[in-house]
Amino acid sequence: MKPRPPTGRRIVNGVVSGVAAASALLGLLALAWIFLGVLSRGVGALNVDFFTRLPNPPGIPGGGLANAIVGTLAMTGLATLLAVPVGMMAGVFLSEFGQKSRLADHSRFAANVLMGMPSIIIGVFVYAILVLPRGKFSGYAGALSLGIIMLPVVARTAEDMLRLLPNTLREAGLALGAPTWKVTLAILFRAARPGLLTGILLAVARVSGETAPLLFTALNSPYWESSLAGPTPNLTVTIFNFAMSPYPDWQQMAWGASLLITCGVLALNLTARFFLGEKHS
Amino acid sequence: MKTTTMAFPYPVALDQSLALETAVPAAYAAAPVGPKIIARQVNFFYGEHQALFENDLEIHRQKVTAIIGPSGCGKSTHIRIYNRIYELYGEQRASGEVLLDGENILDPAMDLMELRRRVGMIFQKPTPFPMSVFENVVFGLKLHYKLSKGEMADRVEEALSKAALWDEVKDILRQPGTALSGGQQQRLCIARALAVEPEVLLMDEPTSAIDPIATAKIEELISSLKSKYTIVIVTHNMQQAARVSDFTAFFYQGRIVEFGDTQKIFTNPSNKKTEEYITGRFG
Repeated sequence: MKPRPPTGRRIVNGVVSGVAAASALLGLLALAWIFLGVLSRGVGALNVDFFTRLPNPPGIPGGGLANAIVGTLAMTGLATLLAVPVGMMAGVFLSEFGQKSRLADHSRFAANVLMGMPSIIIGVFVYAILVLPRGKFSGYAGALSLGIIMLPVVARTAEDMLRLLPNTLREAGLALGAPTWKVTLAILFRAARPGLLTGILLAVARVSGETAPLLFTALNSPYWESSLAGPTPNLTVTIFNFAMSPYPDWQQMAWGASLLITCGVLALNLTARFFLGEKHS
Repeated sequence: MKTTTMAFPYPVALDQSLALETAVPAAYAAAPVGPKIIARQVNFFYGEHQALFENDLEIHRQKVTAIIGPSGCGKSTHIRIYNRIYELYGEQRASGEVLLDGENILDPAMDLMELRRRVGMIFQKPTPFPMSVFENVVFGLKLHYKLSKGEMADRVEEALSKAALWDEVKDILRQPGTALSGGQQQRLCIARALAVEPEVLLMDEPTSAIDPIATAKIEELISSLKSKYTIVIVTHNMQQAARVSDFTAFFYQGRIVEFGDTQKIFTNPSNKKTEEYITGRFG
């Protein structure tokens, strides 16, 4: 029997790998396009005033977004403080204690659903439980909604990272007479540290660009706020408001804020990659 | 955890009240002779699948007992009952009786942490924790004893010396344990297990993942440790069993086919299956 000539298969192979490479390139191009667009339009807005001054009313040139930068950092920070301990413990439960139990199954499912939930729904939820009863928007509500978005991301990455560790490590710890919690905290957390840090950073990156949940919770403010008890200035809602405004000064400011957030998210992702690289070396 | 009643080998303090407490440790007084471990009618299940059938075995005090047999015959499964490490996996369970100095370790009331302090385990692959050499050894110590920094350092040196590793690591105690060579890592794990002053050492194919020279060192170490510890070693290597052990148990398909003096098992086995296995006809 004569074998089939390979020409046909070679052509198909070439076409498939060509299409795959083109798709990958397209994704990369989109990212580069967005980044360069934001960079070219936003870089003009970045100066010392941008980081140190309050926004000016429309028509008066100058001013900055110092209050919004601080507000975003404060709410993201508080959200991280809320979500990381709870998320880590949830991850520990899923991976070490609960495993295949019913509670673990249900929690894992809930976390997956929560992860796919549109963030605006979480914003509306916090609006209903915190903003409405208190009668005012607040940074605390903003931080809570960001925290809720982070929670399942932290929990699932923590679980996955702990699961990746070999069981021999757990057995070795238990065989010395250590209780499970001690093995988890003293041995597994250390072994999984790069992965856990990466999970936290990616969760922070995920929420630092969120706008919808803040619209319903923190709202925004053009002033310095000394606490998170009232409407709290933040970058994303500012971008939303300024970009929609008819004033070129404000639009320029929105580009600057977009650039700042993009760079922040990029930096977080690069740091996360660095941590993961450390693990593999 | 309180371990004062077990602290036997320490010099008795001059203080009269202390001397009274430490003079006659109950566990030693109660069962100083006879086998260290007696397994009676032990069955073991992985979920529905039964892996061990009516195992009866006596592990003699301060001797080395080798467990041999073809892959999948239940060797490791059997010793993993002695420290109940199998309980990490919910679907595994054991039945029967395993007496450690007369006390049934399968009793649900058994304190697992204390059991595992008394019965240490060394695994097939070295399992250094992701921390320094020093912290690796201190990890178990801190769990079971309240010691000053100085005492801690002394005990670490003692344990590393017993594991024949001290000379190689005394200048790199602060470096990660994972940076040591495979053979050194395995001796680090032995030191870590010895630091908590166990009575029994379970070794699950401790040399199958390391090179021949490191293997020779560990075999030498096993011979030196048996004056103080009761050792059970699972091995695939029959020469190793013949070299290091006093007693040998031959496992086949989850049953103990033959148990006796290593000398006799290797020169004049009474069971045909044993003979076939040690002469290399299967396995």
